[in-house]
Amino acid sequence: MKVTAFTQLITVLAVTALVFILPVQVVSFILVLELVLLLYIKHDRMTMAAIGALTVFTGMMILLQLLFQSTLEVAMLGGLRMLVMTMAFLCLLAATRIQDIAQALVERFHMPCEYAFMLTTALRFVPDFLTDSTATLDAQSCRGYSNRGNVFKRLYSYLVVIKPLVMRAVAKSDTLALSMELKGFGANTYKNMKKQELGLGDYLVLTIVAILSTYKFWIKYL
Amino acid sequence: MIETREVNFAYRRGEPVINDIDCKIENGEFVALLGHNGSGKTTLSRLFMALMHPRSGEVYVDGENIAKKEPADLADRVGYVFQNPDLQILADTVWDEVAYGPRNKKLSEEKVREQVEEALAATGLTDFADVYPRILSFGQKRRLGVAVALALKPRILILDEITNGQDSLEKEQMMNYLRAINEEQGITIVLITHDMNIARLYARRVIVLHNGNLVFDDVPEELFNGTKDLTEWGLQQPTMAALAANFELTAVNAADFCAQLTLKAGDK
Repeated sequence: MKVTAFTQLITVLAVTALVFILPVQVVSFILVLELVLLLYIKHDRMTMAAIGALTVFTGMMILLQLLFQSTLEVAMLGGLRMLVMTMAFLCLLAATRIQDIAQALVERFHMPCEYAFMLTTALRFVPDFLTDSTATLDAQSCRGYSNRGNVFKRLYSYLVVIKPLVMRAVAKSDTLALSMELKGFGANTYKNMKKQELGLGDYLVLTIVAILSTYKFWIKYL
Repeated sequence: MIETREVNFAYRRGEPVINDIDCKIENGEFVALLGHNGSGKTTLSRLFMALMHPRSGEVYVDGENIAKKEPADLADRVGYVFQNPDLQILADTVWDEVAYGPRNKKLSEEKVREQVEEALAATGLTDFADVYPRILSFGQKRRLGVAVALALKPRILILDEITNGQDSLEKEQMMNYLRAINEEQGITIVLITHDMNIARLYARRVIVLHNGNLVFDDVPEELFNGTKDLTEWGLQQPTMAALAANFELTAVNAADFCAQLTLKAGDK
């Protein structure tokens, strides 16, 4: 049973809102569900690395909150919410083609196609950016800079490569803009793609999302 | 000296890229590494520099196994010039760009100045010392890449397709310079190229890779005799070699061809 990009987007948006109203047990359950789903969709090295990076980032968030006089409980809850929200986006990106997301944004959410394109291009640039950063770090290493050592030394080595990476990204975006103009960008509104019709799976997921979103209402009146 | 012993390599979850390669590049050699796209040339050269490590087998640089080394440990022995010069530029001026390596090696400022000036002069970039490197032409960026590697005074220089994007004059200047440092200073050159003519004219040894296997390792005269069919390895004879072979000549360029042809006609 497949669900369209539209339903997936709605679900992700709903999850980001729901983490603030649902009890912590349910939020934790959603996190487990997301993890199972993500590993079912993709269980390669990159996915594991992404999960690891998100977990480390959450840990840092919790530490930061604790540093700023927050209680452990509040800090943990904040970290859990952040993790659930980002993991939902990770599931979306792992399960859906970027073109489908763009089409759903234009067709269903009536987003101007220029903005949808901007959003999807930004996502598309991430792997390029990672490849470039590896190449630049390699070039740095070949010139005698070793990034072995403590965390600060590693962070510094990344700081050195930020500038060339940004410069390259700007140059790339310039070339992309020019080639888009040459290909007559603006005429394409993503409407020439096959329309994504909602199926049984979509209605089922949307119903669950609707029920969960109005959870407080049901608790109160039923 | 670089030596590989039964080296195998494959990218994550991919097909093997390098299969059981045994080769030895002695000090002072000028080697051209040839092969079609995807034959494993760049991968093999990256193994030489410890940018990647083999799945099995060993790579030795100056007799030392580099399995536990990283490129920074080899930087003053092996220089590596990447295919894409844009990704190597880290500094704001050509001078600082070239000085980045020697400064990492914690050399004195005087020594840094000396080595940078030498590298810039050798690559014809002295007049561009204060220029912002990103505004250089593609060919100049390539030369900058070579200057950057040379500034560390390596004994081995690996150059990955550095003649791409250069006009014929720039190409000739660059290759003559590489020949000079090879002959005069004894720097080992490993040149990865698609340009058969350059391999034929400048290299003293040619290694051909085909689908990750080493299929040829000998002098260029053996490979570029004008008659050998190289298409099975995805290569072609240089036009001049093929033309000269038709006339049973061994000319390396047009002038040479004309001279040999005139001589032959005179004999007849």
